[in-house]
Amino acid sequence: MPKIFYLLFFMVFATQAQTKMSSTEADALKTKVKALASATQTISSDFIQYKHLDFLDNAIETSGKLAFKSPNLLKWEYVKPFKYSVLFKDQTLFINDEGNKSNVDIGSNKMFKQLNELIINSVKGDMFDETEFRIEYFKKEANSLVYFFPKEKKFSKYIEAFHILFNEKGDVVEVKMIEPSQDYTKIVFTNKVLNQTIDNAVFTN
Amino acid sequence: MRYLLISICFLVVSCASFPKKNNFQNTAITGDINNPYFSNTNKDYVYKANIEVYNNSFGGLLIIKKTGEQKHRIVFTTEMGNKLFDFLFEKDNFKVNYILEELDRKILIQVLKKDFQVLVTKNLKTQEAFTSNNQTVKKTTLANKNYYYFETPKLTKVIRANSRKEKVRFLFTEINDNIAEHIEIVHTNIKLKINLKSITE
Repeated sequence: MPKIFYLLFFMVFATQAQTKMSSTEADALKTKVKALASATQTISSDFIQYKHLDFLDNAIETSGKLAFKSPNLLKWEYVKPFKYSVLFKDQTLFINDEGNKSNVDIGSNKMFKQLNELIINSVKGDMFDETEFRIEYFKKEANSLVYFFPKEKKFSKYIEAFHILFNEKGDVVEVKMIEPSQDYTKIVFTNKVLNQTIDNAVFTN
Repeated sequence: MRYLLISICFLVVSCASFPKKNNFQNTAITGDINNPYFSNTNKDYVYKANIEVYNNSFGGLLIIKKTGEQKHRIVFTTEMGNKLFDFLFEKDNFKVNYILEELDRKILIQVLKKDFQVLVTKNLKTQEAFTSNNQTVKKTTLANKNYYYFETPKLTKVIRANSRKEKVRFLFTEINDNIAEHIEIVHTNIKLKINLKSITE
């Protein structure tokens, strides 16, 4: 009998681990994240990506590096278990698929343009646009967790929600993109360094 | 007259059946076809895929999972995880769970369905057997098409052919423990090539 009490006790704690923020707390977080994002000139980080599909035994794990330079230079590079990189530069998306190089003109493609902005914004965490997203704020221990639900139907068809986890400094540590099917992609950032000079050579394909 | 003879000869040659044209020698049927490559329900089969279609090339991850006795899910995503399509094979039924609007073309779905069906079908009845260069070649039909399975004795190649000509070729190489680390699907009637490299560790 006591065992069930322990269990209930833990369950209460488990659900309490994530609580809704008050609007004051939410505003404070927004201000903090926006301030950090606008002061961010460069980002370099490692990442691990977990692709979860409900029918698989294990999530598909891929990992690599990310480099960002304000306002819109971004390189997203997978290193394991294959080499694949995308580079957003000069209105163009450069792809290097294990040595096979190709590029897409983003300027003429609205979807890629949005994708580019979205990736940059989600890396910085600055997606607090109430016209584009319905937003919910939670506290998770010392961190903050924010749900962004795209309002535009064209968009919500692909991604039902973004869950972004911020650390105490207001920096993004995890991004989870949830599809309408509930399958998701989770990206965890490690060794993240802000505002350290990044050589321009990094932003070549 | 000579030209006529030559052209008749030519006609006869080009009319020869696929096995004849390829000098297959008839032999006794020794057993049915067993494709072991996507048959383990405890395995997640994940491949880095590259698809070349009419000089366009795009990549992604092809994920195949046997989820039941005669049930497979096949999902294709971009490297960044966005789902492009999600197919379900169950016995003789085929269902599109999801496909990106831009790819939602009947012809494309039909081609992919036919190709993937070959990958996931485990057992097929041998209708005729041949030998060719020390390989056993077993003929069968799948969804009303003729297929030739090449065994060394491991399954290394499958060819779909009409009565005379090769249409699609499946090559299984770097075979380890019932996993083909490298699979190539080459179409000869349309410009389509699918290259798969296993990234399952």
